[in-house]
Amino acid sequence: MATPEAVAEKKELAGINADYKEKFGFHDPETGYAYKAPKGLSREVVESISEYKDEPQWMRDFRLKALEHFESRPTPNWGGNLGQIDFDDIHYFVRASEKNSRDWDEVPEDIKNTFDRLGIPEAERKFLSGVGAQYESEVVYHQVNEKLEAQGVIFTDMDTALREHEDLVREHWATIIPPNDNKLAALNSAVWSGGSFVYVPAGVKVEMPLQAYFRINTENMGQFERTLIIAEEGSDVHYIEGCTAPVYSTDSLHSAVVEIVAKPSSRVRYTTVQNWSQNVYNLVTKRAVAQEKATMEWVDCNLGSKLTMKYPSIYLLGPEAHGEILSIAFAGEGQHQDAGGKIIHAAPRTSSSIFSKSISKDGGRSTYRGLLEVADGATESRSKVVCDALLLDEDSRSDTYPTIRIGENDADVGHEATVSKIGDEQVFYLQSHGLDEEEASKMIVNGFIEPVTKELPMEYAVELNRLIELQMEGSIG
Amino acid sequence: MRLVEHDGEKIGVFNCDGRLYAIEDRCSHDDGPLAEGEFDAATCTVECPRHGSLFDLTSGRPKTLPAYAPVRTFATAVVDDTITLEVD
Repeated sequence: MATPEAVAEKKELAGINADYKEKFGFHDPETGYAYKAPKGLSREVVESISEYKDEPQWMRDFRLKALEHFESRPTPNWGGNLGQIDFDDIHYFVRASEKNSRDWDEVPEDIKNTFDRLGIPEAERKFLSGVGAQYESEVVYHQVNEKLEAQGVIFTDMDTALREHEDLVREHWATIIPPNDNKLAALNSAVWSGGSFVYVPAGVKVEMPLQAYFRINTENMGQFERTLIIAEEGSDVHYIEGCTAPVYSTDSLHSAVVEIVAKPSSRVRYTTVQNWSQNVYNLVTKRAVAQEKATMEWVDCNLGSKLTMKYPSIYLLGPEAHGEILSIAFAGEGQHQDAGGKIIHAAPRTSSSIFSKSISKDGGRSTYRGLLEVADGATESRSKVVCDALLLDEDSRSDTYPTIRIGENDADVGHEATVSKIGDEQVFYLQSHGLDEEEASKMIVNGFIEPVTKELPMEYAVELNRLIELQMEGSIG
Repeated sequence: MRLVEHDGEKIGVFNCDGRLYAIEDRCSHDDGPLAEGEFDAATCTVECPRHGSLFDLTSGRPKTLPAYAPVRTFATAVVDDTITLEVD
């Protein structure tokens, strides 16, 4: 007989499992919106965004040049199917609120209700050093712990950073991901809006995470946030981002650019819990450099979206730099998670690891796409790549595209890959211990992703497990 | 900018406000033709047309990713109105 705790847990799960539409997929009326650009992309739209934000001339020039790159590049024909994206059927800039507030009470009522439902202010009180909340194209709320501010930590939205810390922004802007890096980075560079700017001075350790939450509300919306994190020598910071959107029958586009500079002996961890609704194309470029003895870690969890193409990268540019990528992807019906990671060893005695876990069910498709490169001169470097895929039924699909280039004879590189199905024997064994088939499968899946969830702060690990249980619901029998 | 060839190797020669610099015409990231990229004489840089890495013409070093390795540079001299390059 089930214990009262188990019954409560099951009830709670049933509540969460009511479905995505109820918990995250709702949308607010657009009354009171300050500005909504007409659909489509043009020089006029790009100029109007820049003008609306009252940007310096160099940024306007940067945007217009990026637009030319975007227009001149073909849409990628590898990875997922991008042919269905209609770039003319997207709103590229939507301003929901006239101002970015530091006082929760000043945030417009509808938006406040949304973030209340998503638990953002509660999370800030409990376990975060700072919070940013982006709604449509711009950040509507930002707050950072006063003690950190006194230590010189900057955590603000990118638009404000450009106004208040222009020199610092300009010094690092697009040095990690230039606008011509790829078509989607060019698009972001042309129409970027919002995102986070984080600056951690030398030696400062930010003990609790900084979090940004991204929310799309409008139909046919494009969200193009731009994030830049600069960790000075010997500093330490953990940044977390989460994202959701309403369920619509038409598609939206999320195309972010994230640049990170981890200076000597610093440590940066960047955690993503991506849970976009299944009408969102999620096409993101994320790249970091780790200088001498720095550590850079990407923890990348992809649960939502129609198609995700995202391969966080780390360039180990200084001796003894270290990089880690932990990637988890869950592809259900109608989803394609094309994820992975890239690590480039460009200096001696650098080390890295990539651990990728993917789960496919109900005809979903997971792809691991990765690059490990040990460049000439990166002597005594070590790396380990592990890709595990779990298929829950016959209709689902898993692909692995690993690329490994080794330029030094003394590199120590390992690659392991497994593809498995939930075994009848495993399920039978757990059923013999009193679990039903669904509980047994959930337990096996949770065990499969445990190497990733144990790296998350507890609150996020619990949430991730629950989201996966939600996705698992109804997958048995 | 002038593109010259020596022994099968293409070299771009750039005039940065009177100072001459020569680099190999091949991006260290993806072999892009650097000499076809946007040249900025004021900052003495050229941008790879393929993925946008910006190269410092005075040193051959990339100032932005995705390239991280320098490209070869060649010493220049002007003798009797003729530009000469010192090639290995």
